Amino acid sequence: MLVNNEQILEALWETVYMTGVSFAFSLLIGFPLGILLVVTRRGHLLQNEAIFKVLNVIINIFRSVPFIILMVAIIPLTRLIVGTSIGTSAAIVPLVFYAGPYIARLIENSLLEVDKGVIEAAQAMGASPGQIIFRFLIPEALSSLVLALTIAIVGLIGASAMAGAIGGGGLGDLAITYGYQRFDTLVMVLTVAILVVLVQGVQSLGNILSKRVRRS
Amino acid sequence: MIQFEGVTKTYQSGKQEIHALNGIDLTVETGEIFGVIGFSGAGKSSLIRTVNLLERPTTGRVKIHGKDISTFTSKEIRTTRKDIGMIFQHFNLLNSKTVFHNVAMPLILAKTPKNKIKDQVKNLLDFVGLADQAEKYPDQLSGGQKQRIGIARALATNPSVLLCDEATSALDPQTTQSILDLLRKINREYSITILLITHEMGVIREICDKVAVLEAGKVIEQGTVFDVFTNPQQPTTQRFVRSVMNDELPETLLQQIQNAGSDHSIYRIQFTGTSVGRPLISQISREFNLDLNVLFGNITELQGTPYGNLIVEFIGDRPEIDRALSAIRKSDATVEEVTNYAS
Repeated sequence: MLVNNEQILEALWETVYMTGVSFAFSLLIGFPLGILLVVTRRGHLLQNEAIFKVLNVIINIFRSVPFIILMVAIIPLTRLIVGTSIGTSAAIVPLVFYAGPYIARLIENSLLEVDKGVIEAAQAMGASPGQIIFRFLIPEALSSLVLALTIAIVGLIGASAMAGAIGGGGLGDLAITYGYQRFDTLVMVLTVAILVVLVQGVQSLGNILSKRVRRS
Repeated sequence: MIQFEGVTKTYQSGKQEIHALNGIDLTVETGEIFGVIGFSGAGKSSLIRTVNLLERPTTGRVKIHGKDISTFTSKEIRTTRKDIGMIFQHFNLLNSKTVFHNVAMPLILAKTPKNKIKDQVKNLLDFVGLADQAEKYPDQLSGGQKQRIGIARALATNPSVLLCDEATSALDPQTTQSILDLLRKINREYSITILLITHEMGVIREICDKVAVLEAGKVIEQGTVFDVFTNPQQPTTQRFVRSVMNDELPETLLQQIQNAGSDHSIYRIQFTGTSVGRPLISQISREFNLDLNVLFGNITELQGTPYGNLIVEFIGDRPEIDRALSAIRKSDATVEEVTNYAS
C-alpha cells in the first residue's frame, strides 16, 4: 500500500471537515430559502409571485450545473472568499453553492407535506406568519426535515470526494491519486469502504433522530 | 352577532370564474346555534371562512358584533380571530405535539404565563372529558376524542363565537351525538354563538335554533328549525327534511290502496305542541262515525317541541269526512290532502 494509516486518517478528517462545514453553511442558506419557497407561493402565507419565481429560477440554475463544472466555474469567487482556489477550505465554497440550493428544495418539499388544514387552524387561532412557520410548519415537518437533511449530508459526502479534483483533499482525493492514478487497488477499496461506513452511519443516525423528533 | 351583507365570493380558476357565494344576507343572533346546510359545492365552506377572513369576500360585508371586519388591518384581524374559535372536519391538530400542547397552543401564541396555561388547559380538558389524555398524542386517539381536543383548543381563548366546519362529518353516528351534546353544552354554559355548516340534516335537527339552506351560493330558505322542518318550501329543503323525517308510504301499501278502489281519501295531519297529546284520531272516528286507517305515523321533537306527522286514510261518507276535516282544522293541527302518495 502506498499510503500509511496517518494519511488515511487525515483524509477522513478532511472529508468530515469539508462535509461538516459546507453542510453548516448550506443549511444557513438553504433553510431560509426553502421556507421562502413555501410561503411565497400562490395561496400561501406570504404570497409573493415575484420572489417565488426569481428564487425558483436561481435555484434551478444552480441545481442544473454539474458539481464538477460548478467547482471550476466559480473559482474566481472562491479565490475572493478564501484567498485561494486550492485545498480543503477552497473546496467548501463550491460545495456550499452545490448543497445550498439542494437543501432549499429538500426543505421546500418537507414543508409542503404539512397538512394545509393545520395551517388553516393556525390562522384561525390568530397566529402571525412567523408563529405559523416556527410553531406549526417546522415542528410538524421536523421528522421529515431530519430525513431530508440526512440525504443532503450523504450528497455532500459524495460531492466532497469529487472536490479532490481541485486538490481539496479528503478520501476522494486519496482514492484518485493513489488508487486510480497509481493503480493501488487496496487504497481504492479501503477509501470506498470507509465512505460506505460513513454514509451508513450518517443515514442510521438520521433515521434514529427523525424518529425521535416525530413527537416532541 | 354575525351579519352577512350581500357577501359574494368569486374564485378565478384559469380563465373561468367560479361564483362560490352569490349575495348572502344572513344574521346570526348572539347566543344562538345557527346551522347552514347545503350539498357539497353549495358554498358552505366559503361562507363560514368569510367570518374569520380565512376567505376574503369579493364584495359585501361581514360584520361581527357590528364591526365590518374586512376593513381591519392584519393585526386587528388576528386579534378578532382570537375571539372566534373554529373546529374542523379533519380536526387539524398538530400530530407532533401532545394533547396538552395542542390545547395550550392558542395560549402560547397569546404569550400567556406558563402556570396560567397549565391551569387553563387542565380546566379545558376537564370540560371536554379528556383530563386523563393530556400526555397522549393525537394519533393515539379516536376521531371523537380528536374533535374534543379541537373543541378544547377552540375554547382556549374564551371566544364569543364558535365556527364548526363539518365538525361531525368524519364521525360515526354515536360519536356525532356526543359531540353535538358537547356543542350544546358550550352554547348554554358559555353562551357562545355557534355557526355551523353541515350536509347532515340530522345535525340541524339535533342542536340548531335556526337554519339556512344554501344552494349555488345563495340562501334559498331560512327560518327557525321548527318552521323549516314542518313546512319546507323549496325542493332542496324538502329533500333535506325528508332525509331525516322519512314519511314516504311503502310501495306495497300504496298498491293495496290503489287496488281497493278509486275513492280513497288520504290526508296528512300535522300537529304540534299540546295537540300531540290528544287522542285526536279516536275522537274523530267516534264523533263522525268514520273508520280511520293510519298509514304512517311519526312524532319527533324539534327545538324541544313535539311534532307529529300522520298520514291517514278516511273511510266513510263524503259529507262526514268533510265535517271531520274542518273539525281537525279548528284544532291547532293542519290537514292537507295527499295527492302524490310517494310525497
